[in-house]
Amino acid sequence: MTRKHKRWSRWCVVLVWATVAGTSHGRADDAAPQAREQELVAVLRSETPEAEKALAFKGLAVHGSPACVEAVAAYLGNERLASWSRITLEAIPGNAASAALRAAAGPDTKLASRQLVGVINSLGVRGDAAAVPLLATRLGDGDPNVAAAAAAALGKIGTADAAAALSKALAAEKPDREAVAEACVVCGERLLAAGNTTAAVALFQAVRAAEFSDQRRAEATRAAILAQGRDGIPLLVDLLKSAPQRLFNMGLFTARELAVGPDRDPALAYEVDRALLEAFTSSAASDAGRGRRPLLIDLLADRNATGASAAVQKTILEAARGDDAAVRLAAIRAIGRCGDASAAAGLLEIAAGAGPAVLAAVREAIATMPADGVNEVIVARLAGSDAGSLPLVIGLVGDRRITTAAGAVLPFVEHDDPAVRTAAMAALGSVIELKDLGILVHRVADPRDDAEFAAATTALKEAAVRMADRDGCAAVIAEAIGSAGPRAGVLVDTLADVGGGKALATVAAAAKSGHQSLADAATRVLGKWMTADAAPVLLELATTDAAGPYRGRAMKGYLRIARQFALPEAERAEMCRRALAAAQDPADRKAVIEILVRYPHPATLAVAQEACAIPDVADEAKAAVTTIEGKLAPPAGGT
Amino acid sequence: MQTRERSSRRRFLKRAVAGSAAAVAAPMVIPSSALGLDGAVPPSERIRVAGIGIGRRGEYDLGCFLQQPDVQFVAICDVKQARRDAVKAIADKHHGTAECRTYHDFRELLDQPDVDAVLIATGPNWHGLMAMQAAQAGKDVYCEKPCTKNIAESLILRDTMRRCGTVFQAGTQRRNLPHFAFACELARTGRLGRITRVYAHPAGMKAFSSGWLPEDPAPDPAVADWDMYLGPAAWRPFNAKTLADGFNFEKGGGLVGGGVLEWGSHCVDLCQWAVNDCLPPTDYAPPVDDQIVCRYANGTELIFREKDWIPLGSCPVRFEGETGWVEAGDSGKIVLSSPELMAGRKVEEIGGYPATFHVRDFLDCCKTRGKPKGNADAACNAHIACHAANIALFLGRPVKLDTESWQFVNDEAANRLRSESLREPWRL
Repeated sequence: MTRKHKRWSRWCVVLVWATVAGTSHGRADDAAPQAREQELVAVLRSETPEAEKALAFKGLAVHGSPACVEAVAAYLGNERLASWSRITLEAIPGNAASAALRAAAGPDTKLASRQLVGVINSLGVRGDAAAVPLLATRLGDGDPNVAAAAAAALGKIGTADAAAALSKALAAEKPDREAVAEACVVCGERLLAAGNTTAAVALFQAVRAAEFSDQRRAEATRAAILAQGRDGIPLLVDLLKSAPQRLFNMGLFTARELAVGPDRDPALAYEVDRALLEAFTSSAASDAGRGRRPLLIDLLADRNATGASAAVQKTILEAARGDDAAVRLAAIRAIGRCGDASAAAGLLEIAAGAGPAVLAAVREAIATMPADGVNEVIVARLAGSDAGSLPLVIGLVGDRRITTAAGAVLPFVEHDDPAVRTAAMAALGSVIELKDLGILVHRVADPRDDAEFAAATTALKEAAVRMADRDGCAAVIAEAIGSAGPRAGVLVDTLADVGGGKALATVAAAAKSGHQSLADAATRVLGKWMTADAAPVLLELATTDAAGPYRGRAMKGYLRIARQFALPEAERAEMCRRALAAAQDPADRKAVIEILVRYPHPATLAVAQEACAIPDVADEAKAAVTTIEGKLAPPAGGT
Repeated sequence: MQTRERSSRRRFLKRAVAGSAAAVAAPMVIPSSALGLDGAVPPSERIRVAGIGIGRRGEYDLGCFLQQPDVQFVAICDVKQARRDAVKAIADKHHGTAECRTYHDFRELLDQPDVDAVLIATGPNWHGLMAMQAAQAGKDVYCEKPCTKNIAESLILRDTMRRCGTVFQAGTQRRNLPHFAFACELARTGRLGRITRVYAHPAGMKAFSSGWLPEDPAPDPAVADWDMYLGPAAWRPFNAKTLADGFNFEKGGGLVGGGVLEWGSHCVDLCQWAVNDCLPPTDYAPPVDDQIVCRYANGTELIFREKDWIPLGSCPVRFEGETGWVEAGDSGKIVLSSPELMAGRKVEEIGGYPATFHVRDFLDCCKTRGKPKGNADAACNAHIACHAANIALFLGRPVKLDTESWQFVNDEAANRLRSESLREPWRL
């Protein structure tokens, strides 16, 4: 390259960058769009290196007009830049770009196979209906890659003429028929979207009738089912009875698309379900069918998520009572998703005396049943269940948060059977009211055994965090801290989960109590407090001996608030100032400096400047001042 | 369907047609809980998974797959030999065999009849195209995010997954974490009142059109295949740093790179789940006061912001309704406007955004043919929202999207950025 060309090349690169960068930053450019385009075209016509021409193509994709098409299209055969040329041509609206692509793909093309495929791809992306005749010719190209590209492009164009060309190619014995089949389905979808259902279905059926891979047959069958609605149901049943897994899978998939959702046609949905029930019934007749029954049940549940019809529920409940373990479990799960209250009662009967897998499945299913009346079924069972069934029923009270049953569950905390007692405590975690919370607090402070302690601790935490009256809840817990002995730490942990003013005050008092284990627990939870109002408490603990050996921990908790919480910057700066004065550990003072840098602000800058006088952080403070000043300075030069 | 070696595809298809039950046989589906064999699942009943482009993130995903008793990892494909060897070693060690096969060209891997599903963890450059080719080959797809490079690709991805009957799971694993799910449920079920605003953290609000790094000598294709790495992306000079930075290569495409996609694809996905898995916003504006404000058709605002979050970890989201709000992040914790919103629910706090549950959800749906949480429809809508926001960022002005035609309204400049041609011979 000559010196003149090098200078020109460097200038063009700068120009292209400015053009593209100007666009990306949204600044108004002084050059008129045509002038900008001409500059970029000039780059394409120059001896500039390819990398810089690629950037010019980028600019033209954003700013180019039909005026640049000729220069851009000249690169359609370039091994490196052809795709850049097409990026630009695909972006420019209007016939000029399409015409250039058609010309490049015509019978006189000089393009190599790969670049020709690219041009054909672009015709498809542009949906160029005028290209259909030449693409139809390319369907018979000796190069299978070109032929496949032509098929795909015709599919995307999706006109009646494109469909005719593809249909004709379907019948031909060509190595790329799979590509044609795929394109037929795509084309059919386009026709369907345009309202031409008859032509679309004809294409789908043509693919189905010919010998193609299971995948292509599956796609075409799905399309035919969805296009035909009611008339497609027999095809759906065929899929669900198909031996090849690929086809059966498509049946399951398509059945989840046909007549589902809030806008479904209820009559069609009913017919589809009826067909599925028949398919389920007949599936018992073969080994392969029996293995698929859990999936059919799952399908029915998915389709009836807003509530199963009587026929669907009856079939599924019968399956839940059957001998096949896999089917039974699938049916139990399905009832949980679509059954009504009577089905819940049925599941509880199934659970009586059942093994652990069935018990767990029944509990999980009923716990989340959305139907009305389920709670009443459960509560009614509390009085009449034996010790074997009570854990399940009580557990469901908790799972479903049946707060009206809290009073009925309370007595079970004293039951002879430990499994019943444990279940009762767990359920109370979900349903107990504030007025009875002390029962759980007492079980934590003075448990019967380790198992009860564990159950009560978990239950108390769950109950405490959901109490609307946080301060009232904290007050109940606070009363027990003094007499809880070694278990007081658990109560302190629970107060941290409760939060609020009373909890904070109680934990602060615990930190200053002089009892080491209590102070340990209290300072630990204060260090993770989720609201900034813990800051004054932590500062006091960090600057006095109130918390004993935990001053350092308190300081770290204080710094955490300064570092992580959304605060007015003046307040944060003041916190940092106080921390610098109070911190005993040099590492904590260094941490303060890091906080100042993290939040550049005139207030934090002032504190950083003050910190320059503190010997063990002087260097860090000076660096921080520089950094903060830099961040606060206005941008050089402006825009 | 594109192929470089159409003969191998023909051989596969002829096998598939002639003996379809055998050639494409998938495991007979029996729930593992019914086996009672200490949780072990016989190899004949496992889902056969292959991986493509398993790097650092992909190795994590692979670990989640290998934790599942009903997974058999059968093959790895990568343009870098070192990665093929490394992943094969992981899989072989896990299964106690030497049977994990390796491939250079992912099309050969997709031709294999004994692969049921693929884990795609290449860089974003390949995600969408590869996922679609896998679907067309009859494989289910777990695809890392971001899944697409532009609006048009998002729509084609969705349509392809539907057409092919593919179980598709985007790598948006937060939908399967209980605290995020609970937050979204509060919004969807009206517990917060009518939702007025949803907030997403994008981890980046700069969209740009970039240039190239200086050209390096190209590597031996047997060691690292640059042409295949480039794939559908337009030609550019080879640079070793580009090869090493698959995570960022072509994120958002070549015309409009960067932008809100990094965390946006996660956070917007959650926001739209909160608004009943809605379509993307119709209105987008560039940043004002460090916020990008978009508006859904029902008037709810989607706001991208990087500041003023409660410290709940990465990928935070916030949903505001007329009667309450909730905020959640990757720490596993949620913060509510009122404790009454908990209503006694137990919401497990799982921090660190693990993908284990997401992988399990995917595998379950591979068996049932149901829709996983990060399905193609949801992924499409979330990605379109991010791409449209990026276009407003790039153009520096508001844009309006018609969510029926999927065109920007009276906006040729924005419409030019909806799609981008693929380097030949690749096509969507």
